[in-house]
Amino acid sequence: MTIVKLADVEFGVELPVFEPDTSLANVQRFGDASGWNSPRFTDHEHARKEGFPGALVPGIMSQGFLAAMIHRWAPGSVIENVDTIFRAPVIVDVAHRISGVVTDIDEDTGLVEIDLTLVNAAEETRVLGTASVRLPV
Amino acid sequence: MILDLHAHSIKSDDGRAKVQNYCQWITTRNVPIDGFVLTEHRQFDFESDYSELAQKFNLTILKGAEVETEYGHVLVFGVTKPLTEEFDFSNITLKLADVVAAANKHGAVAVPCHPGRVRVGMSAHIEEHGVPEGVHIVETFNGGSRGNEDDIAQTMADKLSYQGIGGSDAHIVSHIGRCATRFSAVINSELELVAALKSGEFEALTFKEDAA
Repeated sequence: MTIVKLADVEFGVELPVFEPDTSLANVQRFGDASGWNSPRFTDHEHARKEGFPGALVPGIMSQGFLAAMIHRWAPGSVIENVDTIFRAPVIVDVAHRISGVVTDIDEDTGLVEIDLTLVNAAEETRVLGTASVRLPV
Repeated sequence: MILDLHAHSIKSDDGRAKVQNYCQWITTRNVPIDGFVLTEHRQFDFESDYSELAQKFNLTILKGAEVETEYGHVLVFGVTKPLTEEFDFSNITLKLADVVAAANKHGAVAVPCHPGRVRVGMSAHIEEHGVPEGVHIVETFNGGSRGNEDDIAQTMADKLSYQGIGGSDAHIVSHIGRCATRFSAVINSELELVAALKSGEFEALTFKEDAA
């Protein structure tokens, strides 16, 4: 269900699960566009030499995935902030999944709080956080 | 009675959950716990009073702390004003022996948490510092554990004859209750929690698969 206004939202409702494109090609495209193109992000071998299990998805790109997920759910919403806690690296070319759930609704201000969790295939939380989203009242 | 013994609210620097939203989540999602303990990082929250929320949602809401030692992070249950004057809760280089001694002196209980975690867990530091004195309970189920961290914790607990507790380590609303502890006693206060922990009549639980 696409969310248009605040009345469409209920406490505890889950956003559609989002599977971000963490492929090396996509991360390289993001790097070229954003300037986040350090080989740590775009070259598995280089990242391994730095002690990582593989190239890393930039944190700012993970935040972008979170925002994209919210806008797919509520295209007309305004994201006031995305507050992230990076628990572990998000590795390029590894499948991940983002879930979101509404955990607070302020009917006076139109603000909705969303819990966001990015996990890998082993269900390990890599990134978590919250977003404040404004919807028309 | 089942309590999540490890949760953080917006009072912690990395906590994003309001306590009332934890309550609302537990109630609307039928999370199988009867309450939780707020273990804010490097502090004890004297100012917040959650008794009205507890009554409204029929939950037990207690307070503890999570402090930092050379053996990693440690939950402290039964914190009192005199205990907070024994050592600086905000100090990230506390000695576990000092925390345990102060807890014992003031009728509290110190419990190393996520002990299977690299850097901030006790298991990783035993080789360097040895087996600490005075630890009887560790957190064997932590809602934020990755990989085999809980297995490492349980193996260590078995080897050293520690009892295990469970806690979600929730920092956001929807993670509350992922792990918890079942007590045979009814617990409505920090004093009763300490007594229940000292009685040894409890077991660690995980609901992580249910939550996935």
